[in-house]
Amino acid sequence: MENREVKLSVKNLKISFRTDGGKVQAVRDINFDLYKGETLAIVGESGSGKSVTSRAVLGILANNAIKEGGEILYDGQDLMKISEEEFCKIRGDKIAMIFQDPLSSLNPIMRVGKQMTEAMLINGKINQKNCRRDFNTTLALLNDNMDKALGANDENIKARNKQLCRDFDRFECKHLELENAYLLAREACIEAIDAIDDALFRIEKHASDGLKEDLDEIVGNSKKSVSRYVVHSRADELNALVSRLEELIKVPFKKQVTDFVKRVIKRGTVTDDVDYAAVSEVIVKIKDILAEATGYVMPNFFAMGYYLTFSQDPLPDMPIDELNVFLRKYLDDKFMLEFIRIAEEGMRYSAAQSLEHKKSAIAVLDEQVNLFNDKLEKNTAREAVKALVSAVESGIDRLDIVKDNVAYTFRSSVKAAVESYFDGIIRNRKEEKRYARQKASYDKKVAAGKPPQWTLVDKNLVDLASVRGDIIALIDRVKSRFINYIDGYQSIDFDAKAVDMIDYLKAKASGVAHKVTHSVAKTRALKLMEEVGIPEPRKRYRQYPFEFSGGMRQRVVIAIALSADPDILICDEPTTALDVTIQSQILELINKVKSERNLSVVFITHDLGVVANMADRVAVMYAGKIVEIGSAKDIFYSPAHPYTWALLSSMPDLDTKEKLEAIPGTPPNMIYPPKGDAFAERNKYAMQIDFEEQPPMFKISDSHYAATWLLHPNAPKIDPPKAVTDRIKRMRVRGGENVKNVSEQAATVDEEEPESQEEGDTPEKKPVAKKTATAKKTKANGASDKSVPTAKKTATAKKTTAADKPATKKPATKKPAAKKPATKKTTVKKDGGEK
Amino acid sequence: MSDNDEVLLKVEHLCQYFPMGGGHELKAVDDVSFDIKKGEVFGLVGESGCGKTTTGRSIIKLYDITSGNVYFKGQRICAGVRSYNDAIKKARAERSAELSALKKAHKKKEDGTYADGKTDEVFGKECEEVRAKYGTVIADQRAARAAAVHDQRFCDKDYSEKLVEEIKSEFKLEEKLAAASGDDERKAVLREYKDQIRIAKRDRIVNRIQMIFQDPIGSLDPRMTVRNIIAEGLVIKGVRDKEYIDKRVFELLERVGLVREHADRYPHEFSGGQRQRIGIARSVIMEPELIIADEPVSALDVSIQAQVINLLNELRNNLGISILFIAHDLSVVKYFSDRIGVMYFGKMVELASSDELFAHPLHPYTKALLSAIPLPDPVYEKNRKRIVYNPIAEHDYSVDKPSLREVAPDHFVSCNDAEFEKYKQELDK
Repeated sequence: MENREVKLSVKNLKISFRTDGGKVQAVRDINFDLYKGETLAIVGESGSGKSVTSRAVLGILANNAIKEGGEILYDGQDLMKISEEEFCKIRGDKIAMIFQDPLSSLNPIMRVGKQMTEAMLINGKINQKNCRRDFNTTLALLNDNMDKALGANDENIKARNKQLCRDFDRFECKHLELENAYLLAREACIEAIDAIDDALFRIEKHASDGLKEDLDEIVGNSKKSVSRYVVHSRADELNALVSRLEELIKVPFKKQVTDFVKRVIKRGTVTDDVDYAAVSEVIVKIKDILAEATGYVMPNFFAMGYYLTFSQDPLPDMPIDELNVFLRKYLDDKFMLEFIRIAEEGMRYSAAQSLEHKKSAIAVLDEQVNLFNDKLEKNTAREAVKALVSAVESGIDRLDIVKDNVAYTFRSSVKAAVESYFDGIIRNRKEEKRYARQKASYDKKVAAGKPPQWTLVDKNLVDLASVRGDIIALIDRVKSRFINYIDGYQSIDFDAKAVDMIDYLKAKASGVAHKVTHSVAKTRALKLMEEVGIPEPRKRYRQYPFEFSGGMRQRVVIAIALSADPDILICDEPTTALDVTIQSQILELINKVKSERNLSVVFITHDLGVVANMADRVAVMYAGKIVEIGSAKDIFYSPAHPYTWALLSSMPDLDTKEKLEAIPGTPPNMIYPPKGDAFAERNKYAMQIDFEEQPPMFKISDSHYAATWLLHPNAPKIDPPKAVTDRIKRMRVRGGENVKNVSEQAATVDEEEPESQEEGDTPEKKPVAKKTATAKKTKANGASDKSVPTAKKTATAKKTTAADKPATKKPATKKPAAKKPATKKTTVKKDGGEK
Repeated sequence: MSDNDEVLLKVEHLCQYFPMGGGHELKAVDDVSFDIKKGEVFGLVGESGCGKTTTGRSIIKLYDITSGNVYFKGQRICAGVRSYNDAIKKARAERSAELSALKKAHKKKEDGTYADGKTDEVFGKECEEVRAKYGTVIADQRAARAAAVHDQRFCDKDYSEKLVEEIKSEFKLEEKLAAASGDDERKAVLREYKDQIRIAKRDRIVNRIQMIFQDPIGSLDPRMTVRNIIAEGLVIKGVRDKEYIDKRVFELLERVGLVREHADRYPHEFSGGQRQRIGIARSVIMEPELIIADEPVSALDVSIQAQVINLLNELRNNLGISILFIAHDLSVVKYFSDRIGVMYFGKMVELASSDELFAHPLHPYTKALLSAIPLPDPVYEKNRKRIVYNPIAEHDYSVDKPSLREVAPDHFVSCNDAEFEKYKQELDK
């Protein structure tokens, strides 16, 4: 998994909202990476910050949102810092979103078809422009590097390189032209075959609905499929058959009129006198021809484009296999091998340059990083930043197709951090002044015996040291990236890289060639509508959103999101409003699209069943934090966080018989986020420390992390509640062999803690927090260990472990030991603020 | 699980058509029959738009049903007239067809005799017979239709009249008045009597059925306090005793897991789950015997869902209320219901006890529906194969029309003869 390309990475994201009641901290410091081609599911209750996170990624937060900090790195950009114009290029086109509420995410006064094609048309234009720009700049850069690699002063070499690049540009255009024509014809062929299958089925079942449309489609598509490389040898035969079919299904105008009168005015049924036996005979023959045509090998249009552009001779007449070999050889001999060789040289040169720069950049980084350990001076700091940025940016290999997010965003990140440091100094000074003033007036009033109504607001200071720490972390991150690069330099395969580069150029060129016109957009929209399961797309295309049912509306929204062919798809509860059959259709659709286009998907939901279906990895969020993250198997077969247990046990599955274990109370008010673990108040396994300190992320395995004190080595061992263990057991039975390894792991865990088994299984509602607290109290009061009753097993276990292990144990050294006897926490629970 | 077989609600051939304009009709519910026993939870599932909610709303008389009957506690509360009209129309058509056939045969030849060899007298007699035969049929249907119209319109009135009679006979006003000493006491007795009569007069049989709506936000008036919302039913019913109302409101708030202090708050001050609890309290205060719960948990979070389901379960166990549970989340329906009916495009396609239905689904649509349930189990989910239901491919109903038949005891499937045999074999396996 480490080797996979990271598409999107969110780091220390913090977002809050200004409201009348105060500042609501919606997202508090979350981190995750999204790999290419994976689905990350974010699970949690409403208000846990799932949607806010996804909206931040898309840059559509509400106006009252405050971006407090953090980074969202995508494609060499930090999405938290870029401008609205730049976002417009990314939004929809690169990152698309399926919204929760299909009613409010569609424009009520625009026809659905227009809404679907609108984005395609706009994006098509921008895309074309961008592709052209990318193609030109990359090719120019490559040319430049090629020149430099082979000796910049030799004019001959320079001219040759230039010629090569220009040739590539020219024949690429021809290639795309040919290929597009071929693809259109072939697609028509495949669609015609589908329509024929459908029509045959309908004829067999005597269902006349939609048969006419099918037959029309067959005729149209069959005609389109006649092309030089699709249906070529039997084209005449096909044409004859198609015209025969047309004759058969043609309804004379007179009959059309009488039918219309019968159907619409007299409301009668219309008999059609088409000879279906003959029709089916004809279309079976058509199908034969088309099926044969789809079996043909696709000619190598890339090579053919070169041949047709530069060779004087006409294309030799031979079977496609031989033709391909011939063309390939021609291309390789004349152009490709040389081009690849020289491109490789160029890339090697560029990489070597970047390697050198990186080495020197590391030196600069090492040198400058010390500066940030101490107080900063404005001028020196800015100088240092300048030096750092130029060093890092020179170290970027511009010819690398996969952009290094960290290096690309270094400039904006480090600048912002340094600015926030100096802003912080000023703000802190002001804040100190304000506090001093208020304190003085407060004290005065208290001294006068009239305590004021208002309360003294605490100092809200920027922690300068932590800002400096952030800067150092940034530098370290870049450094480690560079060091990794230098270490891995020997193993870079430049040959493959050169081929990749040519593929990249080809893709960009095809982006330029594919012009999105209205009719293209319409056909694509209709196809998408069919794909997402909207019946009669042609009719629906012209309707308004209010004419659609909820499920259909959601499908339209999904179709719009998919129409832009995005890189990352964010699904914000896309199926919550739909029923199971449509839900699973839509999930299948998203999965299909995902695997076809190698999409990365962020899937937000509170339905764990859907998560299990979709997710490769799962992040469980609660009160603005990720409390547990891991692969789907980790989360479902060995959940570690009490909130995950509670979620799993609160929803019935098909085998649940006993009473559901609802999570008591409501989520905390995020205007005043709890000091400790946010879930502690609703958690029956909460310990004293949960109310005092926020748990860090404990690592369970390479892919599985959870933030709960229960994982601390000094914590008592607590098993998941019975409902969860039962469910996992059932899943093991159902999953059979597949989960064997997982279950073995879990089994070993079970064996380790046989004693605490009963403790976890007791249906007792009484919070363990109380027990722990009382136990601690007894200890604090000097009661001997032996007098602790057996019912407080958890507490005892905890205490003994705490006593056994020295307080130096990492990472929460003194925490479990430093406990106050606190009973006040129990009152918090009662007053669970139901507002 | 209820052991008794007392049928509380009986739905017979319920049809609910909506005019679509241009003479077309949308058959939202088409010939649905089922019954709900006392203390039972009956789940109704199906995809959106298949008529689950319309069924619920038709039962509680929010719509006038097109055809069919609904009996509640043995009394007919809804009745449609379409079936009678159709029968009358059919009888008329048959009558005129038969008469014209007779007339055609009774043609005068050139020589003055008739083609069928009957005299005028015989012919007239035959015609009379035909007319009389269909006349009785039509008269019967007309009488039935009149009864249906009466029941549809006046079932509440009949019910309240019955209640009033009961009170009149049971209260024994004269004796109490005679026993009372002094004017004040007499007045008190009289007031009590009048109160009871008033409440009885206003009472409606449909009050015994209450509904919980899907959207907890939309179904509560934002300008009324929780107390007013919950007590509204009682007030409309004619209860004027403030103390009694307060007592009932507090009692119910506590029953649904809220506290007394919540009574004077407004709905927007509550979370989704709490709002749904208020909706439940509002329906329970009328002491219903049947609650129609129309997707009560669909709009709620998972953790809150569990709270509401537990609450409904408690109500049903403690108060013995029957529930018609409409939902599309099959795991919840399975967990909560005793019997389940599966609907598809306005028709009931399968009806069985919940365990039976999930263990042996017979109708292809049910199979497709069950195969679509997502479970929180990644390995199972990745390998889950969804079955696609295509009615054209699955059934051939061109000759033999389907009907709801009992394949196994208490297991009904919509099928025709051929399928009936097939399903039976499938069950035997």
